[in-house]
Amino acid sequence: MTDATQEDLQDKRNLLDRLLPRWSVGQWLFATICLILCLWVLLPIYLLVLSAFSPRDAVFAWPKAYLPFDISTDTIAFFFGVRGVFSAFLNSVMVAALTMVISIGLGAPAGYALARFRFRGKDSFRLLIVMTRAFPIAILALPLTVTFIKLGLYDTVFGVALVHSALALPFAVLISSSLFMGIPFELEEAAWTMGCTRFQAFWRVVMPIATPGLAAAAIFAFVISWNEVFAATILTLQHPTLTAFLLTTLSESPLYFRFAGGFFLVVPALVFIFAVRKYLFSMWGIANR
Amino acid sequence: MAAGIYVDKVRKVFGTFEALKSVSLDVQPEEFTVLLGPSGCGKTTLLRIIAGLETETSGVLKIGDKQVNGLPPRDRNIAMVFQNYAVFPHLTIFENIAFGLRMKKLLNSEIEPRVKKAAGMMHIEHLLERYSGQLSGGQRQRVAVARALAMEPEVLLMDEPLSNLDALLRLEMRAELKGLLAESRTTTIYVTHDQVEAMSLADRIAVMHGGHIIQYDSPIQVYQNPANEFCGGFIGNPPMNFLQAERRNGHCHIAGAALTAPSQGNGRVTLGIRPEDVVVAEASAADHLSGHVTVVEPLGPHNLLTLSVDQQLFRVTTAADSPIRSGQEVHLALAPGRLRWFDSESGQALH
Amino acid sequence: MISEKTLPYWLLAPSLVFLIALFAYPFADAFIIAFQADGQWTFENFRTMADDINFGLSFWNTLILVLIVVPLQLAIALTMAMMLTKIRAGRDLVLYVWTIPLGISDLAAGVVWLALLSERGYINTALSALGLLDGPTLWLSYETPVALFVAVIFAEVWRATAIVMVILVAGVQLIPKEYNEAAEIFGASAWQRFIKITLPLLKPSLQTALILRTLLAFEVFAVVVALGGRDLPVLMGEAFLWQFDYRDSGVASAYAVLILLISIAFTLVYLRVLRVKEEPQ
Repeated sequence: MTDATQEDLQDKRNLLDRLLPRWSVGQWLFATICLILCLWVLLPIYLLVLSAFSPRDAVFAWPKAYLPFDISTDTIAFFFGVRGVFSAFLNSVMVAALTMVISIGLGAPAGYALARFRFRGKDSFRLLIVMTRAFPIAILALPLTVTFIKLGLYDTVFGVALVHSALALPFAVLISSSLFMGIPFELEEAAWTMGCTRFQAFWRVVMPIATPGLAAAAIFAFVISWNEVFAATILTLQHPTLTAFLLTTLSESPLYFRFAGGFFLVVPALVFIFAVRKYLFSMWGIANR
Repeated sequence: MAAGIYVDKVRKVFGTFEALKSVSLDVQPEEFTVLLGPSGCGKTTLLRIIAGLETETSGVLKIGDKQVNGLPPRDRNIAMVFQNYAVFPHLTIFENIAFGLRMKKLLNSEIEPRVKKAAGMMHIEHLLERYSGQLSGGQRQRVAVARALAMEPEVLLMDEPLSNLDALLRLEMRAELKGLLAESRTTTIYVTHDQVEAMSLADRIAVMHGGHIIQYDSPIQVYQNPANEFCGGFIGNPPMNFLQAERRNGHCHIAGAALTAPSQGNGRVTLGIRPEDVVVAEASAADHLSGHVTVVEPLGPHNLLTLSVDQQLFRVTTAADSPIRSGQEVHLALAPGRLRWFDSESGQALH
Repeated sequence: MISEKTLPYWLLAPSLVFLIALFAYPFADAFIIAFQADGQWTFENFRTMADDINFGLSFWNTLILVLIVVPLQLAIALTMAMMLTKIRAGRDLVLYVWTIPLGISDLAAGVVWLALLSERGYINTALSALGLLDGPTLWLSYETPVALFVAVIFAEVWRATAIVMVILVAGVQLIPKEYNEAAEIFGASAWQRFIKITLPLLKPSLQTALILRTLLAFEVFAVVVALGGRDLPVLMGEAFLWQFDYRDSGVASAYAVLILLISIAFTLVYLRVLRVKEEPQ
């Protein structure tokens, strides 16, 4: 080997050293596994989004392009042009919003009671809350169809929202309870000694501090409803939610239509996890104990 | 403005645990009372009952001439400083201090001077626009006190307010509080487990133990004439020495010494004496104890000797330049007026 | 009427009434519907269910799916949770990425993997670029049941590992660092520490995660429908079909009751096998 090539090699090595951190083999292996697991999550989402933003005929393209060479809103536009999609989208938004209001409205007071009081039956109630999460949705939704037809709630936004609230309520109770537990009781007591009634102290001191956390719990309720398929499909006919609409039309709809639908189901997930990332653990922290 | 506090036979039971066993207090207007005791003695429970944060199981409670049993905290005309300060994190310091005044529906024109005045007393005028998250522990402590003072309450309640501060800051705040509260002439009840704090601040100390008030007296009385062995052992650092003695024919016999007995009768009694009331003597005498020095700790201003007297633990303070070394046999002269005697069975002081 | 003693009950009452109306009542009702036909108490619905050609298939498909997916998810989630304790920089970012699937519905997950696994999809493109395939190949059909099954496993592992991981990470955070450090001082290797310290202390979280994930895995439905339509029968899918297409609530409820019974059986097994001793805190 000549001196020149050796120098060249040395230069390259220096460059590599500068670009790459000095890690041991184990560290490289660790980082690689970490990266693979991240890609395992992200890559499928990226490819779905890519599919949703490709022209319709790209579905039949072969081989597929992995990079966004041919971006188009053609598929999305087609998706919203299909009869029923837009109203299903609106129904989903309304059901989810109602779910949010009902589950937080009922769940937050219960969470407050669990966080602040010692009373007979507290542990039983907490157990009941945790147990409800283990219920198969089928066993709730199927009998409710009959009841809802009798009550005039079948095929209504409110009816679906009721069932979704039942699913979201246990989470609302657990999250809000851990939220209130994180706010020192002393603050409320201080407010009482300074002339507040129990309600005034809650409203002026606890609420302002709890609001961000309650908002996270509300978003969580929204997503539970947004994602629910089984009950929404069984309890509706003419007024389906987006998931119900997609499920019932899956078999006869073209692939690009399904991809666009999938895109609209996934997007809230990304926003949601980002918005509530601080509170993810409080949902399980209690159930763990 | 200042009101007295009258507590009569108050009991508090949590489930099966009796936290307070018939406790009575009679705090005069403008008096500074310290509730002192180890954790779990019921001192905080008593304070919270006076505040109305806890409901008594039985007993009578008066603030001024008004019976306050069953009244919520907001109707008791009190203010409280909490152990963890309880400064509202979502309000500015100004709004924190103004909080109680706003609840009283005072006009803005009345609120502002009172907030400024209270902040001025605590030297935190420059922090009024900040939030509690931007403050140090000591500053938060000042806010909590200012917030209570701004209320101009009949009674000020403080629950271990200095316990979360570091030692140096605690010393500084202690002196400042003493001056401030003497000036404001507010009736104060102050809970602490720190006997030095209690000695330094109180007009009267109520020493609590196991749900009872075992002594309710001025600091100097509590120090010099403890009502029982527990008081003597809890107050003072190092605490009072206790020695088992045998009482026969008007004399008590301990470790080779014969001391004049406090009262007639035979049997065991306990001698109590504070470490600073003992002098290491040159020669032996009839009323000198003999002991064996096990440890010498130079503490700066003085040395602390740990001795074995008749196989019982005994502590003595000596001058810092004392030549005594561990392993030495010594004679101990007890200051005659400082001997205290206790019943060995009940621990109660004998007079 | 509202006093300090009764206040907590007033606060709980609305949610309690709501849960009774929408959990307890339908729960009882489901049994009545399942065990009645024409107003008579009967096992008729269960007989119809058992005689159906898809019943055995859906039962075994669901069971095998659970038995493969849940241990796989547990292993991956445990790996993730342990890695998160070691990551120095960018831990929050990695955690965020790994928890994203938590918000993705089973239907959406099915569609995502459909995009990857369709005849002219991204995975086939990659495979033929590597020379493993000649051209577009159909995976998701009744003619390729194993491939379809594998696809469902991929989608389920992709979607629902996050929930296991979150529970385990929460559990790991509850274990004081001193235990591991003490074990290290006394000479335990990383693997020994994992086996002897972390795993036993993580048992309550493992139990929670296993129970929750197994119960949810028995309800697998939309993923399967999105990927394979009716080509891969599962229990929930059959319940849906009987209700939505055949309009027979009795048989549908029989399926629901069956799912519930299996869930309860598995929960009891987990509680027994992974018994958590009541330790004085």
